[in-house]
Amino acid sequence: MSLEDLKKIPYGKTAIELKNISLAFGGVKALTDVSFDVKKGEVFAIIGPNGAGKSSMLNVINGFYKPTSGTINFAGTDRNEMEPELAAKSGIARTFQNIALFKGMSTLDNLMTGRLLKQKQNFLMQALYFGPVAKEEEEHRESVERVIDFLDLQSIRRTPVGSLPYGLQKRVELGRALAMEPEILLLDEPMAGMNVEEKQDMSRFVLTVNNELKTTIVLIEHDMGVVMDISDRIVVLDYGKKIGSGLPKEIRNNKAVIDAYLGVSD
Amino acid sequence: MIYKETGQYKSSYKSDHAIFPLLQDKIAFSTLMFIAFLIIPFVINSYWEKAILVPFLIFSLAAIGLNILTGYCGQVSLGTGGFMAVGAFSTYKIMTYFPDMNIMIIILISGLITAAVGIIFGLPSLRIKGFYLAVATLASQFFLVWLFNKVPWFYNYSDTGQITVSERTMFGIPVTGAEAPSYATYLFCLVLVVTLSFAAKNLIRSKMGRSWMAIRDMDIAAEIIGVPPLKTKLSAFAISSFYIGVAGALYFAVFLGAIEVTESFDIMTISFPVLFMIIIGGLGSMLGSFLGAAFVVTLPIGLKFLMVDIVGLSAVTAKHFEITIWGLLMIVFLIVEPHGLARLWSIAKEKLRRWPFPY
Repeated sequence: MSLEDLKKIPYGKTAIELKNISLAFGGVKALTDVSFDVKKGEVFAIIGPNGAGKSSMLNVINGFYKPTSGTINFAGTDRNEMEPELAAKSGIARTFQNIALFKGMSTLDNLMTGRLLKQKQNFLMQALYFGPVAKEEEEHRESVERVIDFLDLQSIRRTPVGSLPYGLQKRVELGRALAMEPEILLLDEPMAGMNVEEKQDMSRFVLTVNNELKTTIVLIEHDMGVVMDISDRIVVLDYGKKIGSGLPKEIRNNKAVIDAYLGVSD
Repeated sequence: MIYKETGQYKSSYKSDHAIFPLLQDKIAFSTLMFIAFLIIPFVINSYWEKAILVPFLIFSLAAIGLNILTGYCGQVSLGTGGFMAVGAFSTYKIMTYFPDMNIMIIILISGLITAAVGIIFGLPSLRIKGFYLAVATLASQFFLVWLFNKVPWFYNYSDTGQITVSERTMFGIPVTGAEAPSYATYLFCLVLVVTLSFAAKNLIRSKMGRSWMAIRDMDIAAEIIGVPPLKTKLSAFAISSFYIGVAGALYFAVFLGAIEVTESFDIMTISFPVLFMIIIGGLGSMLGSFLGAAFVVTLPIGLKFLMVDIVGLSAVTAKHFEITIWGLLMIVFLIVEPHGLARLWSIAKEKLRRWPFPY
């Protein structure tokens, strides 16, 4: 499995398939026997009430958690678990629910870290900083500047991200993930805590990335309006179990999902 | 109005990414280099060499080393003295075994040996962070000093346990030993410090530096981007130790000439002062390493001058005052300006940009 394998898969065919994934921390079962697949080029949403195991699911996909049982089929290869570095190398990028930016670094440097895996020069060359290193640095700066233009981050290029307002930090984090030029983008509540305008902006960015760069997007979101509008397919988790999956309009009428969200009267 | 960058447009990413992007900084740096290389060597005397300039240069190098590890990569280290001792003893042993080797090469090899030792003591950093890592590096300080004291092979079985440098020349001029002229030792240190500083700055502004800072600021996110935590931390330990090892080698070979390990590389004489340098100067700042080193080297001299020569206190009383003032200053700095002199300088630049207008 590699980035090349993933690139070879035609759009609309399965890129990642999770088979019977279970994850337990001691006695706590975060995920129980969850299976679904993500097709290349789609916007795939994972929804569910608090504590349903949505973030755990993303952590399993990019190798931060190792599932207790089940297999992950990534780009045609079965694996028991992923490794974070391998996931990054295979074209999986992600953002976090609680912003995980490099707070002491500027927006530009944060985005440049997204390019680290693509920079090949060794440290001796970097120390001398001549010819190839300078050239490589400039090339990556150029692609980072494209992301900056796309996300309208020009004015905060030099600002340390720790001092930026929340909405902008969320945008910088998306920028850092985009700078990796990922094939699959995992977004953990990209619109949490935002007002309507910010949510519209963010939805627009997500859809543009999906349409123009053909990036597969796996999204966790609580705003049902957003989820129903932008996602192609949805899977619903509750207490670590899959309770429904399908197109947005199927989910909207799914009895189990409505019960999970609204509760059941006895 | 004095320090304004208006009208200095950058038309390429290369010029935007330069070490000194502003014309004023370029002029200031060139002037400084002109004075350092072409004026000071002709006017330097033994007092300025031994008391101020050479220790300043050597400690700047050590501060850069520690700043790479602590300021940029976020791994606290109290083992600076131990690592400097490794540099010093490597130089001594290489000098004994290869009498004809060039001193510059000896010092660089000593740096590499220290880097290897640094990697070994950096291994716990994968598992432990913060205070716990500081304690682990403290152990390396005591272990290394103990080792150099306990194993006579390191000091060639001499009775005193001291190691003494023999004379080595560069271009026919002695740079180590008692006969070395002031300008020679100064220039020797200066060349090494300037070259290695540029190398450090280049590392910091390229891939390696960004990986270090990523690990410092958010190691989980760094790992998910594809920064391998262990490799990155160990590279910081290695490069930091290289700088500290070279500083230790210079401290022994060029500055002191003869040392006794427990005295010269003690935690109170090296490890803490170098840590103070980067805290006072500014964590994660190249300029801060130099400012901190200059501050720590000149403060005792300035205080002594003030108290003994002007106020007329006895030397012993002055020494006591010095330690007290020292401690007070540390506290004041940590409370008032935790980002150090480097931050004060950037505030000053901001003011100079607008001067004489308030905003």
